[in-house]
Amino acid sequence: MTDPSAPLALTAHLALVSSISFGGFPTVLPDVRNFVVGIHGWMTDQDFANIFAMAQSIPGPNMILMMSFVGWKVWGFPGAVASAFATFGPPCTIYFASYRLWDRFRDAPWQQIVRLGLVPVVMGLVIASGTVMARAADTSWRAVAVTIVAGAITLATRFSPMWMLLVGAALGGLGLL
Amino acid sequence: MTEMAQRQELEQAVPLAALFTAFLAVSLYGVGGGGGIVWARRIAVENRRWISDGEFADIVSLCQFMPGPNIVGIAVCVGAKMRGTIGTIAAVSGFLVIPWAIGFSVGLLFLQYAHLPVLRHILGGIAATAAGLLIATGIRLLLPHRRRPAALLFAVLAFGLITFAKLPLLVVLFSLVPLSVAVAGIESTRARAR
Repeated sequence: MTDPSAPLALTAHLALVSSISFGGFPTVLPDVRNFVVGIHGWMTDQDFANIFAMAQSIPGPNMILMMSFVGWKVWGFPGAVASAFATFGPPCTIYFASYRLWDRFRDAPWQQIVRLGLVPVVMGLVIASGTVMARAADTSWRAVAVTIVAGAITLATRFSPMWMLLVGAALGGLGLL
Repeated sequence: MTEMAQRQELEQAVPLAALFTAFLAVSLYGVGGGGGIVWARRIAVENRRWISDGEFADIVSLCQFMPGPNIVGIAVCVGAKMRGTIGTIAAVSGFLVIPWAIGFSVGLLFLQYAHLPVLRHILGGIAATAAGLLIATGIRLLLPHRRRPAALLFAVLAFGLITFAKLPLLVVLFSLVPLSVAVAGIESTRARAR
């Protein structure tokens, strides 16, 4: 089904995208989906949406877990561990090195300029990721409504996301979506 | 001065176990993403008083313009500040190892039964909700920039190029970020000239 080079290709790709995942891993979700579903066909869109949903509803490092399940699908437990390391290893190294440099350039005006330029692009990417996931998940107008209401509540209140995920799970489980 | 600071740091060295358990707690409380920063601040700044609010804000902005999962970045930086390399390893292990093992086992159980209609519907409901949470988080973090037209323009461009033009992330990132930073640079130069 999957050729022997698949785990290596996946690990290398995850290590690459995690090194450029500005704004957190959600920004590279569309790219990873395209890689595993579109280009290689290791899993279906439904599989990918299931994994995303599950990773979101579990406490802890969601995106690392999500990539572990993608690795699991391709190469079992070793794939899961390799994907986890590929997802957090490179960024952790970069964080560590940058923190050491941070103090030296704390007052540099360019730092503020880079932040001003980078943050809006990053947030556009995060919103795009949410939209891509919504497209996979929202198979009915009621599911679209749930996405919109969950988004609106998050913006307007300080409700814990856990409650909203529970309500979403209940609505889905009762067959209302 | 540095010698004294170093000595002081050695005297008040934070136990590695404390770093481990603190970030274990941050990881377990921050369910569903997004809540992680809140818990990291409450524990590292308010409860343990390891760092000040200002230092925390510094770390968060640093992590914001680095690649990777931002909360893991907070663990890396706080660990590095308190105990150097070994502190980072303790904080990151606390954040990852146990939660990963728990999440992975629960998830595998879930996926085993993913073909059951009820479970599929539940996951569908969660996915629809989670997509909304993700979109809202992006919007919320964009809000501080809403008075800069250039910022909104670049956010919309990034969104559109991924969602509609379906361009690869690398292309979008490396074409938009330099432009966006350049515009921010011009804006701040003008603001200073005035």
